[in-house]
Amino acid sequence: MDLLLAAAQVALAPAALVAVMAGCLLGVVFGAIPGLTFTVAMALVVPMSFSMETAPAIGLLLGTYIGGMTGGSVSAILLGIPGTPSAAATVLDGYQLTRRGKASLALGTAVVASAFGGIVSLIIMVVSVDMVARLALRFGPAETFGLLVFGLSTICGLAQKSLVKGLIAGILGLMVMTIGIDEIEGAQRLTFGTVVLQQGVSLLVAMIALFAVPHVIDAFVQHYAGEQKPQEVADVRAELPTIRDILRDFWLMLRCALLGTGIGAIPGTGGPIAAFLAYAHARKSSKRPERFGKGEMAGVVAPETANNAVTGGAMIPLLSLGIPGDPATAILLSGLLIHGLIPGPMLFIQNPGEIYQIYIAIIVAYVAVVAIQLLGIRFFVQVLRVPAHLLAVAVIVMCAYGAFAIRNSVFDVVSVAVLGALAYGLMRVGIPLTPIILGLVLGPAIERDFRTAMILSEGDPSVFVASVPGAVFLGLAALVVGAQLLRSTRATLSDRRTEEKRRASVTPSE
Amino acid sequence: MQKGIIASVALSAAMAVGLCAPARAEFPEKPVEMTILFGSTAQTIGQLLAELMSRHLPQPVVPVARTGAGGAVGYQHVHGTAPDGYNIVWNSNSISTVHHGGGLPFDYTAFAPVAKISVEVPAIAVRADSGWETLSDMAADIKSAGRKLKVGASGRGSFTHLATEAILAALDLSDSAIHVPYDQGRAPVELLAGRLDAALQWPGQFVSHHEAGTLRILCVTSAARISQLPDVPTCAESGAGEMDIVMWRGLAAPAGTPPEAIARLEEAARLAAESEEFRKAAQTIGFEVEFAGHEAFGELIARDDTIIADLMGQLGLTEQ
Repeated sequence: MDLLLAAAQVALAPAALVAVMAGCLLGVVFGAIPGLTFTVAMALVVPMSFSMETAPAIGLLLGTYIGGMTGGSVSAILLGIPGTPSAAATVLDGYQLTRRGKASLALGTAVVASAFGGIVSLIIMVVSVDMVARLALRFGPAETFGLLVFGLSTICGLAQKSLVKGLIAGILGLMVMTIGIDEIEGAQRLTFGTVVLQQGVSLLVAMIALFAVPHVIDAFVQHYAGEQKPQEVADVRAELPTIRDILRDFWLMLRCALLGTGIGAIPGTGGPIAAFLAYAHARKSSKRPERFGKGEMAGVVAPETANNAVTGGAMIPLLSLGIPGDPATAILLSGLLIHGLIPGPMLFIQNPGEIYQIYIAIIVAYVAVVAIQLLGIRFFVQVLRVPAHLLAVAVIVMCAYGAFAIRNSVFDVVSVAVLGALAYGLMRVGIPLTPIILGLVLGPAIERDFRTAMILSEGDPSVFVASVPGAVFLGLAALVVGAQLLRSTRATLSDRRTEEKRRASVTPSE
Repeated sequence: MQKGIIASVALSAAMAVGLCAPARAEFPEKPVEMTILFGSTAQTIGQLLAELMSRHLPQPVVPVARTGAGGAVGYQHVHGTAPDGYNIVWNSNSISTVHHGGGLPFDYTAFAPVAKISVEVPAIAVRADSGWETLSDMAADIKSAGRKLKVGASGRGSFTHLATEAILAALDLSDSAIHVPYDQGRAPVELLAGRLDAALQWPGQFVSHHEAGTLRILCVTSAARISQLPDVPTCAESGAGEMDIVMWRGLAAPAGTPPEAIARLEEAARLAAESEEFRKAAQTIGFEVEFAGHEAFGELIARDDTIIADLMGQLGLTEQ
């Protein structure tokens, strides 16, 4: 208790508080602007934290991380362009809500769900860090592969109407991510002997291209074709969700928070995967699944809760095992190292005070994020007053800048243009973009875990069903796919039967 | 005021005399860009070095991350810039691994060495309950059991993979081991979980588990023990015969950069590397400060390049 009080004294000192809030603000801004992400913001903040005291330095980094994770929902909801890859699932229903004039409501709900997810994951981390870390250890490559395949199978339900078009899209996504150097064998794939293509397509670049560029092209085409868009977004009231609205989805939020924490604790997964799984879960468990994709609030709540729960989940392997689960936690790790905090089992023994400081900083960060975002909604929604073609100019400039900022590479800017133009073409021929994103997000992880598992088992495929989690997840995946196939064949059969009946009834009159 | 007038008079006089004489009296006249090739610790050390160097130069050194393709992207960028000292690269042995692996059409001779800053020494670890105290224990056990040793390191052709293969060859285990590639430092977890028998990574990833008594660091691959782990033997002491495999990091500029500029940067780098702050960071991040001037650094790069080329050739990793 003395330790906790002492930690609180340090973590709640003015300098530390200011640092957390500054981090949150920076994170929200970077997260909210399409193209800029919190990973970039964190890389910018790290050098600043070198010369700071430990508590403010940790606070600044955590604030940026958490602010960025929640900020990603702002542009996802308002513009249909995710500010960060983790917010890609939020677009599906969030943008539809904006088109129905419920932008501020969706934004408010998203930030509350985010904070809920984050705090629940923090609580889980505090009470069961050792147990969760031990469980996460059981997820080796084979088990993670099973989990990812299960994720892919549930998410397949999101493919609209045509299964074939969905598959085409998914495979395109997988193919884009194979460009570059293969991390396992070090082989060059699809590089055409050039150095630039060796860097491959960054997930973020592909994300910007797929979401932002078709939007922008569409806005210009409509403007020059003189098409008058119906004034669907004229309503920019700053309407905030009531407590009752939020409590309605309480159990869903709790389930998604647990899911996000679990996914976050498994190294090599991360926010985007958790968000899509949560979205699929919300749709499955909903009483009105047909309304998903058309502006259902649960479709915003679920991914936002889950992707923020990942922040707490990812802290578990980071602090207790010293393993960063994603690029953002890798930056956090170097920030901790430079202040002499070496994550791992000894951290809890040698630096219990700093551990408490981290917990307190996370709570402060969520309070700050909720305050910043709820105050900010008024201003955010003003974006909707800007005519679409003017907004499109701003968006494309930010995207080009954001794409460049990831690795300071002109190649990435060119990639955005090329992939974006392709995405627009695909959209016009009715190929859905969501499965492409799934291919992008899940593809590299599935490939890596499959190959590592096969190397570990010396080429014996039974490794995938040798452990309980692996067998369970692959079994579930088989069930899901089987049920979907059954349903679709039954649907085709009954279609054919009605057709035959109609023909039968038509023939006599001929 | 007086000074201002004098300065402006002097300036106009200088302009009147003409700018025909190369005006590089004072390098640097604009910020120096330091390209960083990798994320995580390489980036952190590079950022800190840039900040410390800026204190000893009239213009700041700006760290810019150009990651990807095992460093090839950043090397190519710096290679393509003018050799005027305003573009330097935070380089490492990766110049040799990437070139010989077929990732880059040019080799280390495309760069002029500025200064060697630090070295990082890989360490090999096993589970504490494995009963292995030395490399010899491990080798004897594997040979008598007749099974294969699963060793985790980074991807094929990476520095930790080369170090792994060198140790295996020294222990005569090359044919009875499987290299399991991992990214993002996942190898220690896989080792803890029992899916691997050993892992070769940077000591920072093992140290907390080593102290907690769950993993045991068998040895470090350098010729001498390292300051971060004074109680851990070298691999030579542990039964691997003679061995000195370390990854150096340093600064280099495009070949043809004027010697004055290199000398100025070398001096700033020396002051930065010898500062108290850099030494403290070395302890916590887990690297050894080992400064060397541009001449000694150049010899080291050339020597290492032949060693790496040989090793990669033996392993069939070189691009034909």
